Amino acid sequence: MSDFWSWFIIVIVVINLLGCAGLLLWNNSISAEEAAKETTGHSFDGIVERNSPLPRWWLGLFIGTLVFACVYLVLYPGLGKFDGVLGWTSSGQYDSEVALVERQTGPLFEQYAQVPIEELIRYPEALAVGGRLFANNCAICHGSDARGAKGYPNLTDDAWLYGGSPEQIVTSITAGRQGAMPPMAAAIGNTDEAVRDMAIYVQSLSRPDVANKGDNAAAIERAKPRFMMCAACHGPDGSGNQMLGAPNLTDNSWLYGPRLEDIEYGIKHGRSGHMPAHESLLSKERIHVIAAYVYNLSHRADADNTTTP
Amino acid sequence: MSNAHEVVEKNVGLMIVLTLIAVSFGGLAEIVPLFWQKATTEPLETLEPYSALEMEGRDIYIREGCHVCHTQMVRPLRAETERFGPYSVAGEDVWEHPFLWGSKRTGPDLAHVGIRPITEQWHREHLRDPRQVVPESNMPAYPWLETTPVDWSHTERKLRLFKNTFGVPYTDEGIAEQVERFTNGEWSEATEEDALVAYLLSLGRERKEVTQ
Ligand code: HEC
Ligand code: HEC
Ligand code: HEC
Repeated sequence: MSDFWSWFIIVIVVINLLGCAGLLLWNNSISAEEAAKETTGHSFDGIVERNSPLPRWWLGLFIGTLVFACVYLVLYPGLGKFDGVLGWTSSGQYDSEVALVERQTGPLFEQYAQVPIEELIRYPEALAVGGRLFANNCAICHGSDARGAKGYPNLTDDAWLYGGSPEQIVTSITAGRQGAMPPMAAAIGNTDEAVRDMAIYVQSLSRPDVANKGDNAAAIERAKPRFMMCAACHGPDGSGNQMLGAPNLTDNSWLYGPRLEDIEYGIKHGRSGHMPAHESLLSKERIHVIAAYVYNLSHRADADNTTTP
Repeated sequence: MSNAHEVVEKNVGLMIVLTLIAVSFGGLAEIVPLFWQKATTEPLETLEPYSALEMEGRDIYIREGCHVCHTQMVRPLRAETERFGPYSVAGEDVWEHPFLWGSKRTGPDLAHVGIRPITEQWHREHLRDPRQVVPESNMPAYPWLETTPVDWSHTERKLRLFKNTFGVPYTDEGIAEQVERFTNGEWSEATEEDALVAYLLSLGRERKEVTQ
């Protein structure tokens, strides 16, 4: 701030304070003769105005605000370039708030980091911290209950695209994941029938009863050999491949939905779910705690005999 | 005291003048000097002007009233920076006309939503039907954006206005290139959803290097 603007502000603030004080004094100094009068002499439509002095409590409050202003301007920045004797700044307050929380939680996270994730799920406090971190960072995609949505995997079940071991979960969070299924219609005959047949076949992998409906048995027979094209990723039996994030198609747990339309859409247009990397956003220790929270969602039975650390 | 205040009380014109003087003190001391402070008049070094697509997205954001539920002003409070990204500084908003700070948070702050780990795909699904991805959401759905083409008829004028009136550093060649991109190039068939999502993803890019 230049000297000019600094003085500009100081002068206005001081004039303002002095002006208020002067106005108060001026209004409060009444000659004895004036004060003795019953009314001010004003009369409006026969209503007369009584001549009362300023109430004491009000006067006291007014003086109080003036004193408060002076003290405030000495302690805090307000007079132009003068920083105030406390040296307070909003960014400084933010930094110390962050540092304080870091001091309080740092050792805790460090302590948790020493505990393997399989163990950490027995620490209710760690899970509570993990739950809050999850709500802040993950819930918009995976849902506040972690049950996911179309295209966003349910993290509470035993069906994993990339694996449910602690290490695999940590990797999913840290480095992110990119699912990649190319459009496949061309590879399996490029006709709507071929795509429909394949979709029925995929349904039948997890629900054998599908074969009993209508002409489905024939459709499945037609599609079966063509599933060769899918086997490279989903495996010959459709049980998936966690190295590629290719879902298990036999478990009746669906990322994009069980309806024929959903499956057909995927075959025609491909699928490419993207989980962003959180490496640069969350410290290793925090990811460890979130991973424990996620791991616990599908291992609650293991954590049942809880011991508090 | 004499009854000098009677002069003010019985003279409305004088009373108005004195009132105006009294209420202008605050503005004179708190607002006027800001127009001459570098921190508020100089853009951050990392600030980039909006592309034509982002500029149209911003106007759709205003048209649809997103600013009624969303602020774009992260305050320097830890609870906010944990959720919304780094706190806002004045140098981010030098080229914002009008600024979209907002005053009510029905939804989260969006000042730096572009550097949050949210994918383009999520933004699209969320705009078409927020409850599809966030079941508890009370944000309205904007499904028509997906099918409405961007109206480019005023875009060039807007870019020139920002250059000439507000001093945003667009160049004539730069503007010509942007115009080319939406008349014949990759944006010629862009939908309003494309524009709005491009705008959302641009929010906060000037603060990308600030890690929490
Ligand atoms: C922008 C949306 C988004 C956010 C935010 C997000 N995820 Fe994901 N996540 C996804 C998507 C999409 C996938 C599936 C990727 C795929 O289809 O290949 C996924 C996959 C995962 C997986 C692997 C699941 C499996 O079946 O193998 C885990 C674990 C996971 N996310 C945890 C998290 C955690 C923990 C957070 C918060 C730190 C988080 N995600 C934040 C979208 C998101
Ligand atoms: C290149 C590897 C690859 C090939 C080949 C492939 N897929 Fe996929 N498929 C994937 C991946 C990866 C995903 C998960 C996509 C995502 O995470 O967004 C997937 C997802 C799916 C889904 C969605 C599952 C769900 O839970 O909603 C279906 C159905 C599917 N594939 C069927 C097929 C069929 C049928 C074929 C053969 C015609 C095929 N895929 C070929 C990799 C492949
Ligand atoms: C009625 C108020 C309301 C309006 C209007 C509104 N939103 Fe929202 N928005 C919300 C609420 C509530 C949430 C939190 C729940 C959710 O994610 O849907 C939200 C969430 C979001 C998010 C996710 C941000 C984050 O960090 O999780 C984005 C992005 C967003 N809105 C963009 C928009 C855009 C763009 C518009 C205008 C087209 C808009 N919103 C209009 C209420 C609103």
